[in-house]
Amino acid sequence: MSGEVIVFLLLSSTAILGGILMLNLKKVIHMLLAVVLTFLSLAGLYVMLSAEFVAAVQILIYSGAVTIVMIFGIMLTKHQAKEEKNKNPLRTTLVGLGIVVFFVTIYLAIRNLYFGQEATALHVNNTEQIGIKIFSYYVIPFELVSIVLLVALMGAVVLAKGEEGDEK
Amino acid sequence: MEWLAERLAQAPGLENMLYFLAITLPLLSIILGFVTYAILAERKVIGYIQLRYGPNRVGGRFGLLQTVADVLKLLIKEDTRPKLADKPLYILAPIIAFVPSFAILVAIPITETLTFANMGVGLLYVIAVSGLSTIGMVTAGWASNNKYALMGGMRAVAQMISYEVPLIMSAVGVVLFAGSLNLTVIVEQQQFVPYILLQPIGFIVFFIAATAELNRTPFDLPEAESELIAGYHVEYSGFRWAMFMLSEYVYLFAMSALITVLFLGGWNPIIGLGFIPDVVWFALKFSIVVFVFMWIRATLPRLRADQLMEFGWKVLLPVAMFNIFFSAVLKELFF
Repeated sequence: MSGEVIVFLLLSSTAILGGILMLNLKKVIHMLLAVVLTFLSLAGLYVMLSAEFVAAVQILIYSGAVTIVMIFGIMLTKHQAKEEKNKNPLRTTLVGLGIVVFFVTIYLAIRNLYFGQEATALHVNNTEQIGIKIFSYYVIPFELVSIVLLVALMGAVVLAKGEEGDEK
Repeated sequence: MEWLAERLAQAPGLENMLYFLAITLPLLSIILGFVTYAILAERKVIGYIQLRYGPNRVGGRFGLLQTVADVLKLLIKEDTRPKLADKPLYILAPIIAFVPSFAILVAIPITETLTFANMGVGLLYVIAVSGLSTIGMVTAGWASNNKYALMGGMRAVAQMISYEVPLIMSAVGVVLFAGSLNLTVIVEQQQFVPYILLQPIGFIVFFIAATAELNRTPFDLPEAESELIAGYHVEYSGFRWAMFMLSEYVYLFAMSALITVLFLGGWNPIIGLGFIPDVVWFALKFSIVVFVFMWIRATLPRLRADQLMEFGWKVLLPVAMFNIFFSAVLKELFF
């Protein structure tokens, strides 16, 4: 067993563990830390795929910014740890069935998937390659994304302002 | 460090693990030594600036063993925990705050040969991972179940995310000139002219934002003693508290090293003085940066919370943006 396999198993199991913990923990802030765990393990997986730029951005945006925004959201709202007992046997069975069907579908779909030749030069000047690709072949989609984000920002400002006006 | 890359490619085993331990432990002890004497130096420098002596009892005239004694005291102190604290998070928070601070040191090149990881995205890595400590602080504030701690934690978060933006933006100018995010390449590009001369605005913005990121006076609102007792770590004692202090000073080390690398030319000597070894040059520039941090701390009063936010978003960010624009024009015209 090579080191790569061990690292992969570790990272993927931590990612799954984070997800499971997030679903099962009771307090919101605990869930948030579980999500951070998942995000970090995903960043580790990106590093294994030679996508160091994506990994760094994953940590910067998801583990850093998004989580902090969620923390703010939680602190500004009510955060009582409530346990909702929902033991409907029919529902549990249906959900279980759905999971099994989903698993079988995905398993059959990816079992014979072939990705072609393994890329060998991805790690060479990774960031530079991304930059050249974006700014020589995908400039318009890139600019469109930035416009969408700008619109979202304006929308958020307008919404926040509107609520303030209602209170008055 | 080719032998290190060879080691990394080998199958994992006990021998390799011992190797990596043997590499990292010296770094950890250097860091601990730095922290010990940085705390003493800070108290001494602030003392002299404020016309006091600073510590001068333990360990000779200069109080050389003062920090050692303090750490010993912290180690044997009772580890208290509030009854209503969130126990797992209370224990986890100091660890979350400390681990990123040590993890970012791996990307910082000390000299050409003394580098741990020559990462292509070194600069981004340092800034991204250092942002993780914020989560540790807010966790500490929340887990302590104390209103002052919570307020300190929230202030820390608000401040860190506000000042991280100008911090990154002001470093973009350097990246533009160097044409790389790799810290080693950035240093090599400064062989003749350090970027502080080409990027004076960027340097000033970066320095201010770095002071804010380090939670040092005049930006020490998250732990303002006179307003919040001590902020997010008010309920902590003993060694858990020491972990927070440790991470703060490790960040001081990392940030000063980063400033040295980005703006002061890292290990590059002043032209004509190349006979002095690289490590000495790095240490010299690094010490100057650390001293300036202490100087600022000793002389400036604390900002108000609203001034802090206004200054970050309305002054630093536009200036940093202008700096990017200006650098791009400069680069197109002259380089």
